[in-house]
Amino acid sequence: MSMPVRNFWLCCLFGCFWPGLVFAQLSVSPAAIVLDRPESSQQLLVTDQVGSQRFDLTRKATYLVAEPAIITIDTGGRVIPLSEGMTELTVTDGDHQRSVPVTVTGLKQPVPVSFRYEVQPVLTKARCNAGGCHGKAEGQNGFKLSLFGFDNESDFDAVVKETRGRRINFANPDSSLLLLKATARMPHGGGSKIDREGPRYELVRRWIRAGAPFSSTADQPVIGIEIEPSELTMQHGSTQQLRVTAVEAAGRRHCVTAVAEYISNATHIVTTTTDGLIRASEIPGEATILIRYLDQVATCRVTLPRPNPSSLRPAERNFIDRHVGDKLVRLGIPPSEPVNDSAFLRRVFLDMIGTLPTAAEARAFLQDTHPDKRLRLISDLLDRPEYADYWAMKWADLLRADRIKITPQGTVGMTRWLRARIVENQPYDEFAREILISQGSIQQEGPAAFFKALDTPEAAARSISQLFLGVRIECAQCHHHPSERWSQSDYAGLVGFFTGVSIKRLPNGTEAILAKGGTDYKHSRTGELVKARGLGAQPADFQGVTDRRRTFAAWMTDSSNPFFTQAIINRIWAHYFGRGLVEPIDDIRATNPATNEPLMHALVAHMKEVRYDLKAFTKTLLMSETYQLSSATNTGNMDDVQHYSHALPKAMPAEVLLDALCQITNVPEKFNGWPDGVRAIQVWDNRMPSYFFRIFGRPVRASVCECERSNEPSISQALHLLNSPEIHEKIAHRHGRARQWADSSMSNDEIIGELYLGTLSRFPTVEERALLVTELNNAGNERRTVVEDIFWSVLNTKEFLFNNE
Amino acid sequence: MFDIPFGSLNKRYCDGVSRRQLLRVGSTGLFGGLTLPYLLQADDGPQSARKAKATSCIFIFLEGGPPQQDMWDPKPDAPVEIRGAFQTIPTKTPGVFFSEHCKRCAEITDKFTVVRSHSHSDNGHSTGYYYVMTGHKPTFPDGEHPIPTNTVFPSLGSFVSKELGSNGKVPAYINMPHPMSAGGSGFLGAEFSPFVIEADPSEPDFEVKDLGRIEGLSENRLELRQRLLSGLEKGHRRTGRAAAMSSYYNKACNLINSPEAREAFRIRQEPVKIRENYGMTQIGQCALLGRRMVEAGCRFVGIDAPGWDVHFNCFPSLANDLIPPADRAFAALITDLEERGLLDTTLVVMMGEMGRTPRVNAQAGRDHWSMAQSILFAGGGVKPGQIIGATDAQAAAPISNPVSVADVLRTIHTLLGIDSTREYPDPLGRPVPLVNGGTVIPGLIASVGALE
Repeated sequence: MSMPVRNFWLCCLFGCFWPGLVFAQLSVSPAAIVLDRPESSQQLLVTDQVGSQRFDLTRKATYLVAEPAIITIDTGGRVIPLSEGMTELTVTDGDHQRSVPVTVTGLKQPVPVSFRYEVQPVLTKARCNAGGCHGKAEGQNGFKLSLFGFDNESDFDAVVKETRGRRINFANPDSSLLLLKATARMPHGGGSKIDREGPRYELVRRWIRAGAPFSSTADQPVIGIEIEPSELTMQHGSTQQLRVTAVEAAGRRHCVTAVAEYISNATHIVTTTTDGLIRASEIPGEATILIRYLDQVATCRVTLPRPNPSSLRPAERNFIDRHVGDKLVRLGIPPSEPVNDSAFLRRVFLDMIGTLPTAAEARAFLQDTHPDKRLRLISDLLDRPEYADYWAMKWADLLRADRIKITPQGTVGMTRWLRARIVENQPYDEFAREILISQGSIQQEGPAAFFKALDTPEAAARSISQLFLGVRIECAQCHHHPSERWSQSDYAGLVGFFTGVSIKRLPNGTEAILAKGGTDYKHSRTGELVKARGLGAQPADFQGVTDRRRTFAAWMTDSSNPFFTQAIINRIWAHYFGRGLVEPIDDIRATNPATNEPLMHALVAHMKEVRYDLKAFTKTLLMSETYQLSSATNTGNMDDVQHYSHALPKAMPAEVLLDALCQITNVPEKFNGWPDGVRAIQVWDNRMPSYFFRIFGRPVRASVCECERSNEPSISQALHLLNSPEIHEKIAHRHGRARQWADSSMSNDEIIGELYLGTLSRFPTVEERALLVTELNNAGNERRTVVEDIFWSVLNTKEFLFNNE
Repeated sequence: MFDIPFGSLNKRYCDGVSRRQLLRVGSTGLFGGLTLPYLLQADDGPQSARKAKATSCIFIFLEGGPPQQDMWDPKPDAPVEIRGAFQTIPTKTPGVFFSEHCKRCAEITDKFTVVRSHSHSDNGHSTGYYYVMTGHKPTFPDGEHPIPTNTVFPSLGSFVSKELGSNGKVPAYINMPHPMSAGGSGFLGAEFSPFVIEADPSEPDFEVKDLGRIEGLSENRLELRQRLLSGLEKGHRRTGRAAAMSSYYNKACNLINSPEAREAFRIRQEPVKIRENYGMTQIGQCALLGRRMVEAGCRFVGIDAPGWDVHFNCFPSLANDLIPPADRAFAALITDLEERGLLDTTLVVMMGEMGRTPRVNAQAGRDHWSMAQSILFAGGGVKPGQIIGATDAQAAAPISNPVSVADVLRTIHTLLGIDSTREYPDPLGRPVPLVNGGTVIPGLIASVGALE
């Protein structure tokens, strides 16, 4: 940030109150520097703190070294050792000065380099072991490394021993194939990855010269990394240098800023360089930088407020609004207006029960003058049968109730069981526990068929983890999770809970789930048995336990479990608000934080307070002012998609849209083999052939991921809605609503009014009414077809096809 | 019914706005949330400097597993239980022989190339189909994937349409005469699903679903509908998916109303002689319609030709129902494309998910055999007139130049000028390359260096 801009901020913050009394706080860290290896370096951070606003001066300050033979400092503020000794570094910014003592040791007789803790990060930083290069399963051109360097032993063998050791030249380290390729002195598909003049090259060379050892007497595992700053607010276009410090088991701390990796989760908001410099864009919002070094990960959270911030916040109806409001004020994003009754009605019907309000329901609600009518509507909808139909369908998708996989009887049994649990509003923790420990026939009215769909212990572990914990442990099946702490041991520990599950064939030809005994599961790389344990938990004690899943269920639903509650909250939140607090909704991890963490914590507390009563919880969400905001945006919030400043438009699921079309035309869909009048959200048969379902993205229930349901529009959908005989037959059906109205004594005005109430839950605007009524007035003896054409037009508006549009 | 002209409607988009008006409101950024650059982009598709010759691909899939030894890789010297019932005939290329039922292709071997050494290890129909179309080993058991939607990985055709975009009035990715069961769009979403012509173009009443004029809708009514819809949509600013849906509405209308698109689907306009040349069979007329789609700008035509799973008494059905129609369709397509000057820009591939067992079984059929199969490549930069790779004396396994699924996919992408190393994030957020590994089939492309 340039000086004039900073002075501007000084004036803004303090100038008007105390003219001439402005003191900026210049700070330089660390206060003292020790460099003890030839390849060591230390990142300085020079910061000017003005009130709550910090300015990074690391690249602006001037540096003076008392003894230039001992250290040098690069343009990024990184101190690099040249020779042993002590000196002082003076940092100057305007009138301010700070001094930092520097000690350099360990150059004359350097500590040996180890492969596992020092060379490995170099290979990772250079992306040698990335998925697109040597890290992919089959390697690249005969050289294979483990993905992200999770397997030190095999990588060491690949570099040092494979192909008769030709990658390393002990006699002449510079001619090692490893270094020739990495610097592109020999043709290398990946180009030059390591600078020949830089410290990383030097480190690898020194390692080879010392005999390329796997480990060294001095090396210590790194047990953590610290990021500075780990949270900050930036201005548009500004930059901030980060510093990463590794902490070793024996306590040594050293700067690894130059070797760590930086990944922004929102590059449109904040970008990173390989040196750890982050740069803010012009788009307001929040970003999280993931920093990775060896197997450690940490984050830096960046907030970028709007340049002309608003301090508006939604009215506060409950704690949700308080947290959303805090975030919006912090970012300077103004919320939209409260939603009107019509849009609210249509929104809660579609969101809660997957059903369009009828014209009668819409009229009754709009005419209701009771101040509590919204709360009463929400309560009524929670008790509607369609609520159970809709949520049973949603859960059947997630629990993989696939007719082919678990038999038609199993699919019916599962769907019925789900529906009954939703009707009785079984507390969610009990519901999850019942699923987890289910046994018996896969065709009974019960959830046991879930374990038929997950027919191996591995599939059970990873699907249950993703579904109930929101943790995608799947990555750790083959390699250390690249952005989490989960390792292959954690994966194996989880699988061990499900090894006792078996599928038994019954005399009557059906199948049953049995769970008894079980063994610990082998680490896929080392082959050692890993004691069964929950994620981040101690090994489980199975004494006196016959079904290991019970121990898992107890751990999972324990109130200290950090994942279970967040996972269900995020799922329900995403359903109603159109976007999860965490996205993707089943990828909860420290390095992918919620967009509003205080809100997430408050929701967790609330979920426990209501004892996992999902209807009560839903009521809290829906009664918040935040849920009841309009989807119409203002200039300050039109770009916001992650902070709930306005309602987000949502595509209707295939079944809901089909039901809506049937309801408004009053022509039910004929599902082959089903009784008349059955609605699409009631159809348990996920394989029932249907052109409509296919093109509108009904899931096949092949995974526990909600992402299986496609919400994307397509040309086939547009064609079908515009021009298909099927939709036309509904509109023009001789017993359909259009014909009935056209033949009735309803006035033209009434027809248009009813149609609007029944489709969009509102009355037409003056222009809409004028356009359509005029057409009807001129229809003459074409009244029937003109009514049909009006139906067609309204059903093809985007307002009809979307929720909240 | 489909041939009734739509008259004046073709001047309008579905929201009732003419193209000129569309551009005008587009420039103010108010029409459906689409800005002018977006509209133009939506219209013209992705642009990139192209070195590749091929701009489209017609992909004929012989579903069920065509027998390599009864078609393109005969083994006349093998014992009868291996060689089967068919005789061998010479082809235009000296020293190269086909089975007697591949007559038409045998006459034009200078125009295409056979790869005889394709081999993989998935012996199931739905799993093998999925493997060939996505390059990923399936995670579901065979037989459990009858619904044409790829839950995770996109098919070849979806990637091609994503990378190249539409080149005209018809959709970029088309399946016929029904969806390819592994032709779905996976994590790319519905936008890149195939547009399916779910009808048999050899039938006399062939018609494309949702494209024909609905019975009873007069021109006046169509015009009224357009006018009403555009009146109701006027002034609404759409964003996100709704904006995308608006753009699809325009594309759909284009398809219904544009004379070029309408013309392209009218296979009955084709001279009888040409239709008969392709054969009045499903595969023949699909190949012909595929050519018409390519002419109208389609990037990837996936033709699913089922029936090749010949476990029982296979020779009569191969000789009468299966091989001659495929042979005729392929030969006619290549010749026709060449005569129209389209062969250079159109890649044609014919393959199945597997080959068949070397030994004829006790029911006089052949069973699943993925270890060896033959693939035909033509046009679009393929160096013709070659036989690449060879199988052993029983047509059981490659003995030279083995070719993998990844090799085939990489070759097709490369011929179409697509960088197959480009990565997309899968649903777990992992970067997945378009094609994982593989190399371009050596010798198949006239000049690989110029393309990569």
